Amino acid sequence: MRLLVLASQYRVLIILGLTLVVSALVVPGYLAPSTLGLGLDRAATIGLIAIGLTVLLIAGQIDLSGGAVFALAGIVSVILQREIGILPAAVVGILVGAVAGAINGALVVGLKVNSLVLTLATMLIFRSLAHWITNSQPVTGTDIMLSLALAKTYLEIFTIRSALFIVLIVLLHVWLTRTIPGRNLFAVGSNPAAAKESGIASDRIVFLGFVFAGTLAGVAGVLQSLVTNTGSPVFGSELTVAVIAAVVVGGTRLEGGRGSALGTLGGVLTIGSLTIAMEFQSIPAYVQQVVSGLILILLVVLDRAVTTKGRAPGTRPALVRDNPITQGENV
Amino acid sequence: MEISGVNRNDRFTRGSRLVDMLSKAGLVLAILAVVLYGSFASPAFFTAGNLLNVLTSMSIVGIVVVGMTFVLVVGGLADLSVPATIACGAILSLGLQPLIGPVPAFALAVALAGLIGLLNGVLVGYVGINPIIATLGVGTIGLGIVQAAVGGVIVYGSNTASAEFAKGRLLGIPVVVLIFLAIALIGHFVLSRSFWGRWTLATGGNYSAAEASAVPVKAVKAGAFVITALASGISGGLLGLTLQSARPLIGSGYEFSAITAVVVGGVSIIGGFGSVPRAVAGLVFVQLLTNVMVLQGVRTPVQGFVLGILIVGAVGMDAALRKRGVA
Repeated sequence: MRLLVLASQYRVLIILGLTLVVSALVVPGYLAPSTLGLGLDRAATIGLIAIGLTVLLIAGQIDLSGGAVFALAGIVSVILQREIGILPAAVVGILVGAVAGAINGALVVGLKVNSLVLTLATMLIFRSLAHWITNSQPVTGTDIMLSLALAKTYLEIFTIRSALFIVLIVLLHVWLTRTIPGRNLFAVGSNPAAAKESGIASDRIVFLGFVFAGTLAGVAGVLQSLVTNTGSPVFGSELTVAVIAAVVVGGTRLEGGRGSALGTLGGVLTIGSLTIAMEFQSIPAYVQQVVSGLILILLVVLDRAVTTKGRAPGTRPALVRDNPITQGENV
Repeated sequence: MEISGVNRNDRFTRGSRLVDMLSKAGLVLAILAVVLYGSFASPAFFTAGNLLNVLTSMSIVGIVVVGMTFVLVVGGLADLSVPATIACGAILSLGLQPLIGPVPAFALAVALAGLIGLLNGVLVGYVGINPIIATLGVGTIGLGIVQAAVGGVIVYGSNTASAEFAKGRLLGIPVVVLIFLAIALIGHFVLSRSFWGRWTLATGGNYSAAEASAVPVKAVKAGAFVITALASGISGGLLGLTLQSARPLIGSGYEFSAITAVVVGGVSIIGGFGSVPRAVAGLVFVQLLTNVMVLQGVRTPVQGFVLGILIVGAVGMDAALRKRGVA
């Protein structure tokens, strides 16, 4: 059991290390800067959405609509290019993400419904909107050269997208560990009732968390559409599981109140390097899905095995379970 | 407080009675409204052919709905692995036909779908993982394995007798509809008249109290997912036999249709409340609404949009009306 706890604590490093070693042995030239840079660029898409999801999960909520918002924001940013120019269109695309997040947040806070179920419904709504706007056809942008400029690598490794991801994750780390709002976020996630009693505006924090997550899904979607010069209503449908897997690999708990930015960075890098390794070996997409599904399930089970707090109702000792003081975390 | 539980002014029962009446009457009225609107808006709507079509397509989803009702009532939120279990049922019941014959192929397909459900059930009931995450992960894995098993291609049927059986009619009623009605009746009986149903309601209503009353809560919770997977397997098998072809993504979207029907039917998303007839009424409403939209030429994405809004509305109403367990 102690070994499990230890393994769970350093799992990001262990899993990432294992992935890199195995990939380097199997895929020739895997550790070349250009390959790693490509992997990092791939990971950045998952990573940007994962940043938003990390914040939401710490607050005890979840957003399953990220993939759909990703597609919708990208489509809007491409469609509007002809009307208002590339940069304003990109800004509008990101705003669409923010609005989508605000809708999620307002509904979760206002209706007081489980965010899993609600964002499942809004996922359907946003995805339908994406199909509606585009007639289920991919749309193309006006400037192909922009894609090339955005795909350019700096210092042999970073693209604009991956650099943005790294900068944001560092900022998130500082915000979560060094500021008062960051601390409040953990309070809201670990015990909403107690947080409320302590004068923390839980509802506002949850709402802003959703706006943040939506905005980042929007940023990721807009960047993807600019880099590929395409917006498609089917973009991002396979992202949901990968993003949740990345965040969970990083040690952020689905039950809320636990998580870290650096953990998410590790999780995103793991998923990214796995994806690249499997693509280099021409492993079909459905096998890749099996792998990310397996990682997700195994780690969530591992979390269950080593956690003493926030277990499933009924598996906790009666003293904790039936104590009115600790009831709050059950919410 | 008075001990008599039947006191109508008891604040614990007053609210839910009102809700009960409202939601029952509301759903019937809503169905009538759709039928009326449909009849006026489109001459094709109120014809035997069209209604029979609705009934047939409803039956395939309906079988899943019966299982999904158990998942919601037991407090299991939702089963997102339905596309995987439907694909499993459809692909295997067609793909195994040449090897072991149509009936064993169907049985094996349903059994393997049940195995996926068992995995869901163990993860949710015994390990205690969030149902949506567990079923999302297991569904992804299951779908990937099914795709890998057939190499990501479409499987076609080879046994005409089984195809004719699935597409056939008995006393003028399509066989698929009869199977759905039988499953719905069994589901209703189990949920409302059997010990398993009582346990399911108790587990969803108050997990700790049910556990303290010696209800095998873990098994009951796990069982709901096995029931849904078996139902989806049957549904997928019938879908495969009817279409005589099965692609890996054959079941995508069915999870949302089923959840929409159950939630719109007024089954609580928090668990502990609901019945199969309610869910079926929700299904009838949603299917008729979809049918009217199709006849009116409303495009598919718009239909998805409307379904999403319906879920949000129904879930919001559920939380607002049933003031318990809201937090």
